[in-house]
Amino acid sequence: MYPYEGMFLVDPVAHAADPEGVEKSVRSLLEKHGAKVHEFARWDERKLAYEVKGHKRGVYLLAHFEIAGGSIDPLSKECHITEVVLRQLLVRLDRDIPAHLERLAKYYDKMREDAESRRADRDRSSRRERDEIGEDLELPLDLDLEASE
Amino acid sequence: MERERESSGGGNRGKGAARKKFKGFQPRRGRFERLGVEFLDWKDVPTLQRLCTGQGKILGRKRSGNTAYFQRLAGAAIKRARFMALLPYVGT
Repeated sequence: MYPYEGMFLVDPVAHAADPEGVEKSVRSLLEKHGAKVHEFARWDERKLAYEVKGHKRGVYLLAHFEIAGGSIDPLSKECHITEVVLRQLLVRLDRDIPAHLERLAKYYDKMREDAESRRADRDRSSRRERDEIGEDLELPLDLDLEASE
Repeated sequence: MERERESSGGGNRGKGAARKKFKGFQPRRGRFERLGVEFLDWKDVPTLQRLCTGQGKILGRKRSGNTAYFQRLAGAAIKRARFMALLPYVGT
């Protein structure tokens, strides 16, 4: 049994009609192949970067599970046959699932901090620019007065 | 008359003020080392987007400023994200 992260892109129309049914069917697909599912949740619904099987939008389901290495191939083959699943990506993790989830949480914390600090920097620099322009408006005026005298 | 001279003076002063003080040679580090992250997540679309051009090409190390290690991770993560239609193979 190895730890895996799997993402399933499912048909948004089918998902909208019966969200629980679709999620359950994907989950049972995993369990059918002997996977021990740790986490399984809807990740996001978004516009796709390009059309997949005629769909412009898609719902992503994200799963963290343990599965025997030999079951990956039959599982992905069955995903191809299943009509609800438009596409799937199964990635073997280099550490166990709790450690990976912890690492992910830390990663997204740091990324959020970074985005906030970048936004603060941008605000500060735009304010500084404004201040400088204000300063500049005064100084050349003095110089001009002296020159004319 | 006066107004024109003001605006040109402002431009020159702005450039001078923006110059940074030289603090000695720093070891070259990428953005991700500075942040202290140990890997890149392929689901983190906003971060990966910043490593791509508007056309969807992966930025080179010169442009992205990544170390070799993070450039490798970035390449792999972007390719996974492309497969899942999170990022475009070819942009508009």
